Amino acid sequence: MNKQPELVKLIDTTLCTACRGCQVACKQWNELPGLKTKQLGTYQNPPDLQWNTWTLIRFQEYEDKAGNFQWIFRKDGCMHCTDAACVKVCPSGSLYYTPLKTVGIHRDKCIGCKECVSACPFHIPKYDAKTDKVYKCDLCYSRIKESHAPACVKSCPTGALTIGDKDAMIKKAYARVKELGSDANVYGDKFVDGTHVIYVLQFKPEVYEELPVNPKVPLSVIVWKDLLKPLSLLAAGGVLGGAFLHYMIHGPKYPDLPKDENTEGGK
Amino acid sequence: MQKGYVQVTDSYERILHWMLAISCLLLCVTGLGMMFQTFNFIGYLFGGLKSLKLVHNFTGLVFAASLILVIRMWWKEAGVFVFPEDLEWIKVAGGYLWHVDKVPETGKYNPGQKLFFLTVVGAGILMIITGLIMWFPTALPAGLVRWMYPLHALGFVAIFAFFFIHLYLGTIGNPGTVPAMLTGWMDRAVLKKQHPGWLKEMEHEGKLVVYGEEKKSGAHGHHA
Repeated sequence: MNKQPELVKLIDTTLCTACRGCQVACKQWNELPGLKTKQLGTYQNPPDLQWNTWTLIRFQEYEDKAGNFQWIFRKDGCMHCTDAACVKVCPSGSLYYTPLKTVGIHRDKCIGCKECVSACPFHIPKYDAKTDKVYKCDLCYSRIKESHAPACVKSCPTGALTIGDKDAMIKKAYARVKELGSDANVYGDKFVDGTHVIYVLQFKPEVYEELPVNPKVPLSVIVWKDLLKPLSLLAAGGVLGGAFLHYMIHGPKYPDLPKDENTEGGK
Repeated sequence: MQKGYVQVTDSYERILHWMLAISCLLLCVTGLGMMFQTFNFIGYLFGGLKSLKLVHNFTGLVFAASLILVIRMWWKEAGVFVFPEDLEWIKVAGGYLWHVDKVPETGKYNPGQKLFFLTVVGAGILMIITGLIMWFPTALPAGLVRWMYPLHALGFVAIFAFFFIHLYLGTIGNPGTVPAMLTGWMDRAVLKKQHPGWLKEMEHEGKLVVYGEEKKSGAHGHHA
């Protein structure tokens, strides 16, 4: 039925060595400048996603209850939700669903309102004051629509990043989780109607910094877009209809005739 | 102007009314252009959605300034309910919904007008506060900023619906009342029907300004 394949990018965090090749490849393909940052005592650089950094390896020093230490690496970036809060709030159609079901961005349409910035449950879109526009990963739409792998996937030397048909990738993720055992789990296929970037996580999601355990389209967005937005037109329409009926049935309030006769006009 | 017409508003009141009204309407139109993608075409009138956003934001400042002055100007007359007469008026819905032999007399503004005024004040303040935060959303935590949008939409639901009520009741619903906000002079017969309490009070106090009659004119300078 659907000829366009629905793509899913799988990030297997257990295979990531934090070489940051993906971070560099992303900048190269998308022609994003590097900006000066501060050394904060971590390899994580820049400290967070920025308008010019659409993917970032997060470095986290983790010690479990037994005192075992592990350096956790997680590639952060847009999750490409099926039910994307950013697309829902975007007033200008700048954020949109591509035919491949990923979330693309028409930068020329962006008006810099930043509504997506507060709506995104993953805190992904970043605003640049200089261009007054919002930036985020588009899963290299210019590449995947021509059947090329995204720049990050192309650059990955360990196989931590792979992309392919949605069902096949989810299957692969679960197979990998089974192989890893223990707390390993698949993150992404269960919420916001399934994301198009999914993780194989070694630990439970709550272990990871900046990773929401139960991400969803915020209630405020649902109240705003699904309830109040239609209500505004319905209420105004109701008032217009009511005014029409009032004029026809009850009639306007005319001043009394000079003789002060009680005239019930029209009744 | 005809002889015997009564002055009901001064120029300061009318200018502020229209400043508030025009900025409010412009905000509604530009806001709709951003609220519904179906109405994105409104952006063409302003040279694109981005300029539409700027027009919306800066018109908001004009609206805010007008609203503050309007509150100062009309609060005493239209912001507080006076009992028991206002309650009596409400009980019969001002004679607007069913036949009432004699509508209870109220002050210059009836409770319906007061309700409209208070809605504009309340929703207007809500729009200004939420709007300002939406203008600079990165200054506050996302969890808080998120709720500004539905609150802004809620204010719009109220203001947009009330706008049409105001439009109807201020024009064809009450013939003869439009001049109050244009020339400021109204037909005494209309006033007698619409605001008999105020008319009597002004006559009693000798403050009524009637066209063609010799009396100190209150046409300039507002004292509210």
